[in-house]
Amino acid sequence: MADAIETLTRKDFVSDQEVRWCPGCGDYAILAQMQRVLPEMGIAREEMVFISGIGCSSRFPYYMNTYGLHTIHGRAATVATGLKVANPDLHVWVITGDGDSLSIGGNHLLHVLRRNVNLNIILFNNAIYGLTKGQYSPTSPPGTRTYSSPMGSVEQDFNAISVALAAEATFVARSVDRNTKHMAEILKRATEHRGTSFVEIYQNCNIYNDGAWSFATEANVKDDQTVILEHGQPIIFGKDRDKGIRINGLAPEVVTLGNGVSESDLLAHDETLDNPAHAYLLSRLTHPDYPVPLGVFRCVERPIYEEQIIAQGRQAVEDRGAGDLNALYHATDTWIVPEGPDAETVQEVHEELPTSNIIPDIEQEDPMAPRTALQQLLYDPISSLDLPVPECVSADTSVADAVETMRSKNLGCLLVVNKRGLLRGIFAQGDLFEKVAGRDIDLTKITIDSLMTKDPTALKTSDPIGHLLHLMSLHGFRHIPIVDPDERPVGLASFKVMLKFTGGLFSDDISPN
Amino acid sequence: MAEIDIEETAESTLFELSEIESIAIRFAGDSGDGSQLIGKEFANTSAIVGNDISTLPDFPAEIRAPAGTLPGVSGFQIHISSEDIYTPGDEPQVLVAMNPAALKANVNDLPDGGIIIANTDNFTRNNLRKAGYDSDPLEGNGLSNYRVVKVPLTTLHKEAVAHVEGLTNRQIDMMKNFFALGLSYWIFDRPIEPTIRMLEKKFQGKDEIIDGNVSTLKAGYNFGETVEEFQIQYQVKKAVVAPGTYRAVTGTQATAIGMVTAAHKAGKTLFYGSYPITPASAVLEELAALKNFDVRTFQAEDEISALGAVIGAAFGGAFAATGTSGPGIALKSEAMNLALMMELPLVICNFQRGGPSTGMPTKTEQSDLLQCMFGRNGDSPIPIVSPATPSDCFDMVIEAFRIAVETMSPVIFLSDGYLNTSAEPWKIPDPDDIPTISVEHRTDPEGFLPYLRDPKTLSRPWVLPGTPGLEHRLGGLGKEDGTGNVSYDPDDNQHMANIRAERLARIADRIPLQHVMGPKSGDLLVLGWGCTYGAIRSAVRRMRQQGYSVAAAHLRYLNPFPKNLGAILSSYKTILVPELNMGQLSLLLQAKYPTQVIAPFNKVQGLPFKISELADKIAEILGAPKNAS
Repeated sequence: MADAIETLTRKDFVSDQEVRWCPGCGDYAILAQMQRVLPEMGIAREEMVFISGIGCSSRFPYYMNTYGLHTIHGRAATVATGLKVANPDLHVWVITGDGDSLSIGGNHLLHVLRRNVNLNIILFNNAIYGLTKGQYSPTSPPGTRTYSSPMGSVEQDFNAISVALAAEATFVARSVDRNTKHMAEILKRATEHRGTSFVEIYQNCNIYNDGAWSFATEANVKDDQTVILEHGQPIIFGKDRDKGIRINGLAPEVVTLGNGVSESDLLAHDETLDNPAHAYLLSRLTHPDYPVPLGVFRCVERPIYEEQIIAQGRQAVEDRGAGDLNALYHATDTWIVPEGPDAETVQEVHEELPTSNIIPDIEQEDPMAPRTALQQLLYDPISSLDLPVPECVSADTSVADAVETMRSKNLGCLLVVNKRGLLRGIFAQGDLFEKVAGRDIDLTKITIDSLMTKDPTALKTSDPIGHLLHLMSLHGFRHIPIVDPDERPVGLASFKVMLKFTGGLFSDDISPN
Repeated sequence: MAEIDIEETAESTLFELSEIESIAIRFAGDSGDGSQLIGKEFANTSAIVGNDISTLPDFPAEIRAPAGTLPGVSGFQIHISSEDIYTPGDEPQVLVAMNPAALKANVNDLPDGGIIIANTDNFTRNNLRKAGYDSDPLEGNGLSNYRVVKVPLTTLHKEAVAHVEGLTNRQIDMMKNFFALGLSYWIFDRPIEPTIRMLEKKFQGKDEIIDGNVSTLKAGYNFGETVEEFQIQYQVKKAVVAPGTYRAVTGTQATAIGMVTAAHKAGKTLFYGSYPITPASAVLEELAALKNFDVRTFQAEDEISALGAVIGAAFGGAFAATGTSGPGIALKSEAMNLALMMELPLVICNFQRGGPSTGMPTKTEQSDLLQCMFGRNGDSPIPIVSPATPSDCFDMVIEAFRIAVETMSPVIFLSDGYLNTSAEPWKIPDPDDIPTISVEHRTDPEGFLPYLRDPKTLSRPWVLPGTPGLEHRLGGLGKEDGTGNVSYDPDDNQHMANIRAERLARIADRIPLQHVMGPKSGDLLVLGWGCTYGAIRSAVRRMRQQGYSVAAAHLRYLNPFPKNLGAILSSYKTILVPELNMGQLSLLLQAKYPTQVIAPFNKVQGLPFKISELADKIAEILGAPKNAS
């Protein structure tokens, strides 16, 4: 099989369909590079699926001799997501355009990038609606005159790279149809990336928007008006490679090397930065004020959507066993109607099944209901309080050590735990006053075991706050330990904490105004 | 002991009986009063003692409505019977009202002579005001047509749990509904043990909670027994039902379990893509909890994405389904046509709700039938199946998958919110007895064409991407049959439209013939579909018992219709078509069977039909019963 893959050539990817783009269209170059690059990727042809939406670019799958879907306007990313979840082993490309993915399908583009589905999105940006014969698109700059904007577009255009970065994309790159070598390199990088890779390709529509990207394609200007991003390298451009991008405050500026400006003063490109700010800043380098970057803006790793879904399925099988229909049907109370017409008794069966909690009871309480301050004070769980972690000591701690700990850490009390960490007592300042002060006791000789309050009243994090208030008011407790279900201390509720919480609840009512 | 009094009412024959055949009881209170919980518990216990049950939770429309106000009232109605029952009952004979608002919102549904059990502790001035009462209705003559049982329920409850240590006031308050449940158990002669076992299981390790709930449950039961004045107790005879193991099931559960069954038995991944929408979200949640059955759920960013992903998953070889309601179907219509053109098998569940636009999301309607039939661009024949009862959702969603896979077509499963939330007993099947949907994925490249058709079903091969030598492209553009090549040729387009129509028509060869209950011919056939099954069946049975000659049929296959439907209709003079819409099935029938007399009977009030409404309509059409007088 591996041999078979290696011997694939460009021709293996050419379908029997006649290519029907306009002569001179930039799409031809992208198709040719894709068909040239894929044989080098070591992927079996049948494992590849090209999925498109609607528009000129979206004819692409018909011309690729792989599996393909020509879907509906803007929705290719959704179909690709479902396919990857059903079959994560496939290699999926989404072929789309500026109208398809940034206008009608804008929502799906955001969410596929956010989810990080392991697929490749190639966005052909020609800044025009070509298939519908020349209306301005979301990437047409303001002022663009088209059949639907005869006096010029009055809309702010999208920057595709900025949009992708804002949507948390893990791989973001740009290339241009006329630079086939660069495009091939970027297509390879995109294919190799694990996660969603987003590639914008400046593509010329020679019929409705000819020359939209000439600043990036014409031999006499492109070196001065674009910059090729190289990971780890300072950002240098220009025909003579004598200009660079320097950061001044939060803004980029174009500088000329020499006259005291050296390469080390320039912004160095790092596509692996976790913080997308660097990539975003580069995405804002736009024509004509700056050279427009081509290359990989960002390439980082993040968990892959479909892999996590599959992993949850495996986890569920591990936790609950592989699904058993019979158990599923019985996963609630059942009763048996016996055979025979005279059967008198109906037997009740309570099945104890691992999946018995799949059909939850109707909750007694409406969880959506808004809660008043009073309800929060009385009914909300103690876990909603901001409780300090208690200082725990063992019962054989000397009183002297205990006092020192309390003094140095400014504590009102210590919790006493046994070897297993379970709550056994509380040692408070009050104990010192009542049982130690004024007596002739060597504090280094006796342990707190004899002085502490044994088995003190404790509450659980799930108990309502009202219960805490009740105990404090009833018994005058200043501190109440909060324990987990095993009785390990997890918090210490003090009078002070309660005052602060109560004050916060009614801050609107009690703040002087 | 608190005092209790029962106001005697005008004549009432129903309640003289110590043994009755059926009764409906409604629990009503604030959303937080636990009416749903005790209602469900009462239903379970009734099922366990052998009654047939049917339940209808009536959630408040405004889930954040303030306590004690009319919009905040939440109810749960149970119908228990010695016979097969099909609906939660028209009107309850017993109303348990936890506060004045619950009384006010429900008292009009109670027939004369009905019993009101009122928690007098909650009939405070403040609560009366919130419910809009000027004076206490329990005190005046306003309720003289009913038997009013005044119970200081909160007080009695607090006494009952006073001995239990460690309960918070909040917990004590939450438990009071179990006093009402205990009293109801006594009135209807049900055992309290199943509920005690439930409590012990649910609150294992929380002894004080168990003790509190059980104490008040017993106190409620004993209260009924020991208060001499309380002389109402009923026995509902055991229902005669087929032997077997039963459980209660809602439509939501049955739909989810059915989908899992279809996929699991076929050895397939189940992919369910859905965007949250009432009343469909519950199915997504049910399925998300079943990941150990190779269920992969996808909560999409919008309705369109949900179906887009389902199309991708179906192409990838999964059993794929989406679920939504009418507004979501509207958004999905373009993608539904894509699935139709690509000829991929998938299921689109429409859990209908009140429309148009946002309409009444928590209320039920059957008004999406024509949307599902025709609501897409172009001629777009998509098969439609529709479940008749909560447990029927299990069978019909499996049918939807079977038809989808056999036909290589999207199939609409047209259910509704009423079926989703209602429960009924379900005789649990043996999974081995459920037919496995056979799936074939072609792997042979010899002579392969993506739209090569099975001569019988006209379906194309389902080829999985990843299969060597069968690479092909599918799309939504007009195409040539066989190759699937894009084509705008007039003959190709006509041919493909014919194929899609014929492919749908041939499904009629593979579905059951329509069944009729009652005389095989005559003056009147009541023809329904969907959630009206119970009401229609009950009404027709009642009228037949009264001597009327009337038959009933219920369509579970709406597109195409069963092959014998035309012959059935022509055997009756009039076809009465009750629907919770403005006459949608009627319109289809009038178009398809133009010589037939179709009598539409419609309502769109967000509520199911009452049996009495249908019975009255039947009487209106037929006049006096034939063998009467």
